[in-house]
Amino acid sequence: MVRYVAQRVGQSILAIFLTVSTVFVLVRLAPGDPAAAYASPLATTAELDRIRAQFGLDKPLIQQYGIFVQDLFHGNLGTSFSFQASALDVVLSRMPYTIMLAVSAILFAAVVAIPAGVWMARHADTARELGANVAMIAGQSMPEFWSGIMLLTVFAVLVPVLPASGFTSWAGLVLPTVTVGILQIALISRLVRREMGAGFAAPYLTIARSRGIPERGLTWRYAMGNSAVPVVTALGTRFAAMLNGVVVVEVVFAWPGVGSLVVRALETRDYPLIQATVLVTAVLTVLVQLLIDLTYPLLDPRVRLGKAVAS
Amino acid sequence: MTLSPLAACAGPGSAPGVGAGSGAAAGSGITLALNRSLVSLDNKLNQFDAAVTVQRGVRQALTFIDPKLTVQHVLAERFELTAPTEWTVKLRDGVRYSDGSPVTVEDVATALRMYQKVPGSFLAGLFPEWPTVTPVDAATFKLVTKHPVPTLDYLMANILITPAAANKPEELQGGVGSGPYVVTAANRGTGEYTLQVNDKYWGPAPAIKTVQVRFLPEEANRVVALRSGEVDVIDAISPDAISQLSGLGDVEVQQVPSTRITQLFYNFRKPAGHPLADPRVREALSYAINGPALIKDVFADSVSPARGVVADTLTGAVQTGEYVYDPQKAKQMLDAAGVKDLKIKIIWETGEFANDTSVMEAVVEMLKAVGVQAELQQFQPGGDISKWRQGRGGDWDVLGNGYPGPTGLALTPLQGMFAGTKEKEATRDTYQGYVFPKIAALLEKASQETDKAVRESVLATAQKEIWNTWPCMWAFVPKTVIARRKRVENVLLSPTNSYELASVRLNG
Amino acid sequence: MTATTVGPADGSGSRDTAASPGRPSAVTAKDLARSAAVRRRKSARLKIWVGSVGVALVVLPVALANLLPIPGPDEQSLSLRRLPPLTGGHLFGTDQLGRDLLSRVLHGGQVSLTVGVLAIIVSGVIGLIAGAAAGFFGGWVDTVVSRLLEAQLSLPLLLMLLLVVALFGPSIPVITFVIAFAQWPEVARLTRSLVLVEREKPYVAAARVLGLHRVTTLLRHVLPNVVKQASLVILLLLAQAVLLESALSYLGAGPQRPFATWGRIIADGQDYITTSWWLVTLPGLVIVLLVVGVNLLGDGLRDRARRRKGPQTEGKVSRA
Repeated sequence: MVRYVAQRVGQSILAIFLTVSTVFVLVRLAPGDPAAAYASPLATTAELDRIRAQFGLDKPLIQQYGIFVQDLFHGNLGTSFSFQASALDVVLSRMPYTIMLAVSAILFAAVVAIPAGVWMARHADTARELGANVAMIAGQSMPEFWSGIMLLTVFAVLVPVLPASGFTSWAGLVLPTVTVGILQIALISRLVRREMGAGFAAPYLTIARSRGIPERGLTWRYAMGNSAVPVVTALGTRFAAMLNGVVVVEVVFAWPGVGSLVVRALETRDYPLIQATVLVTAVLTVLVQLLIDLTYPLLDPRVRLGKAVAS
Repeated sequence: MTLSPLAACAGPGSAPGVGAGSGAAAGSGITLALNRSLVSLDNKLNQFDAAVTVQRGVRQALTFIDPKLTVQHVLAERFELTAPTEWTVKLRDGVRYSDGSPVTVEDVATALRMYQKVPGSFLAGLFPEWPTVTPVDAATFKLVTKHPVPTLDYLMANILITPAAANKPEELQGGVGSGPYVVTAANRGTGEYTLQVNDKYWGPAPAIKTVQVRFLPEEANRVVALRSGEVDVIDAISPDAISQLSGLGDVEVQQVPSTRITQLFYNFRKPAGHPLADPRVREALSYAINGPALIKDVFADSVSPARGVVADTLTGAVQTGEYVYDPQKAKQMLDAAGVKDLKIKIIWETGEFANDTSVMEAVVEMLKAVGVQAELQQFQPGGDISKWRQGRGGDWDVLGNGYPGPTGLALTPLQGMFAGTKEKEATRDTYQGYVFPKIAALLEKASQETDKAVRESVLATAQKEIWNTWPCMWAFVPKTVIARRKRVENVLLSPTNSYELASVRLNG
Repeated sequence: MTATTVGPADGSGSRDTAASPGRPSAVTAKDLARSAAVRRRKSARLKIWVGSVGVALVVLPVALANLLPIPGPDEQSLSLRRLPPLTGGHLFGTDQLGRDLLSRVLHGGQVSLTVGVLAIIVSGVIGLIAGAAAGFFGGWVDTVVSRLLEAQLSLPLLLMLLLVVALFGPSIPVITFVIAFAQWPEVARLTRSLVLVEREKPYVAAARVLGLHRVTTLLRHVLPNVVKQASLVILLLLAQAVLLESALSYLGAGPQRPFATWGRIIADGQDYITTSWWLVTLPGLVIVLLVVGVNLLGDGLRDRARRRKGPQTEGKVSRA
């Protein structure tokens, strides 16, 4: 177990390092000039050169990379150009909002999707299930920015009961959560329905039923127990993906998370900030994925870590 | 004033005295929503319009440009030109910072030094040269320059004064100011600030006790938030937002002509034989643009047609002519100049002015009507447009661009745009290659003329000369627009898109 | 076979239960009609039908946009701005420049659909080759492909896509490539698992015994057996490609103006939500109709294929 975790962490560190390095090169290859974004539009060429020197952007790429890696090992991700503050601090000041939205959305999705999936599995192949299925497909088919704007129009403009943007009260969490949730519910409920369907069909369930165990117990204890691993995996993966930035939803609702920060960092070509965002989100994503793996033996005693991966 | 992730975690209610959401309506505070993130309350680097309002709430300068674009004294009690290259300034009695310490001459001297040292500062471009401080007594000093700077009282309105010991050659993230408010909570990452009244303020106490600043980049969010009362004042709103808000009972839209000019500026780096190097062609194309329709239909009358080469609100600006829509004349002039099948490329950056894409897409159709084929190239913010503007990215013909008038003086934008010289062009530091030595000389003369009447007549001549070179296909002066809840009163909006927080009142 | 209340799902137990009519049986035609298998077949057919209709409702007008009697997408008349739907001969109304919204949506659809189709072709080909190679050859090929698939999971995908679009400029080939890059893992993962199963089958061993080259075996014998399965997922990926393209152009990374794309029409219309609902609602509904159609069609086809073949590894399509 310890060995497995160590191996996973080692692999992850390598993956993160490669990712951040790729981003390092990509942002510098992209057109656009951080100095021009930073300085006033009236700045002269000489002045822009001075700013570039100040940011260390006048050095050759390989040397910049060397400095970057060296700083990285000292836990220093550089100073954000546009915020004039530690890039890591800026990302960390925004991260709580993204985590809050991700947690709230995944909880919302799980609370709705799991019962819905079970319900669909129990009513398999009925008109009701077909209806629910089509509704889920519809949920999966809406662009998030569109459903977000629609919700905003209805609940903040036509019937102004919920705040439209940002986070100043808990009510502000509702619309973004629902917007993110719609898609997640659609995806997760259909997965639950598939897994539970397989569970209901398994011979051990027939045996359990023949022993007179009530349907409710059958559903939750036996069928669900068997579906736990794939469902938790799905929830975890979706959650990890959200940490990478629910970019579109954050933009629609002016949510002060890392997703909208990234869009802004790209617009100002704020290299350190882009790099810091990628690093922080990648680390979180990997951590969440590791945690999911570690829960497998708890959920399903047949799983032994290190062997479970081969599916 | 720290950037603490914990503060962010605290979430709602962390700002004392300010209710969230619609609750704000009942409190004694107001909430402002800005379209750009306020990353500090200093202006060494971040000089964008709306930030000025908040920055001035906390830090003050010697002078202030009022809504009529005249100079008012703030920390200075006296600010006078006592010799061609010398201004005498006396600090007001009893001016002090929020920690109780007095504002000193040394603070002014240090501030000027620090502003000079910041690379890329917006302000450096405004000062023809930096003045030096020569103390006279404890409260009086002289601002000395090598050449006459007759507009120094205007320029010094941009230099915010901070205690000398705490001032640094960078954007200050904390520290005290002499303004009517102090910062009690700040999250630079999210652009949220809470200001509370400064108990030790030297002037009359402001009516509003708490000001909450939020950052809502998308206009749709600002409009909806204002409608529902989540925020009290929004700025930088587009014509569409005006039409959406103007019918509402509890919202008031306030507009004044701004000091900005937005232009479809020609590329002056074209080789001699190119059609656009010919002023007749430049003039001809201007007749193709249906300005009145754009202003009425795309801008919903939230901009006014340009009548000169800079915004006519500015001190020293004169009217030099008007853009006329006459497609027939456009075709005739193009024929007369022997131009056939002209193809032009229009470039601009997203968000450079309100409804930018609508205007550009409309302009393409208008040019098509006179037989000119226009191609659009839109740059995303942060993209390469600065390289293109310098002529280093690719060839283009017309640039959609806005030019500010931050000092309230016509001279500043005139010099910035039209005083290009061969030397500046060598480093591509002219405005789109605009080099007319005669005009540059006139502007240089005006900038050093201490006699006001002479200065203005030289400036007027220069502006007429510029107009005759047809630098723009079309231009307009946008209005500075804010929208506010009706309970917020006495917002003295200035053409420079800022207002004094201290004079704002709440009704009920 | 009786119709139980809780029927075995996913066709695992029940094959087609068409009892031959000649044989005496207690199962009546009515029972048969109520059986899970029949209902499933019906629902699959229904999905395919409804899906096809939805897709056709969007794709046909988009494909024929140039022939339809509607104004051009860029023809503006500033005096007819933001007309509500069904006024002045504008079915969808007009936009902020007085352009016919229907025409914009249809012509925008040409761009969006072209990008979507091209993207799934590219991602399909790459995913098929990489997945098949990984599954068939195993060893280091598998290791490399599997690591790449894993690595992409931890990438901030949308950020990378925005970066690449900023890097190479927002042209149709770049956006196509970027979407293909986001999607190839789905195809590769599925193909790999299908090939892993296929590899163990006797015909592969036979081919080996006959002395066929391994690459030939893969291309001539294994791939044709998995392509059909994999192609069902590709249809579902089309739905995602359309969504991803619209998200990119919503965030500003769309092809140069005045090209309309669905995401951009909505982003432009967003500023008018309190006064002109149709500018956002109608283009969005068109996207939803198309994507629901494609998803239903893909789902239905998959249900049908699964019924024929019995339970198989299914393509779990997830969205980034």
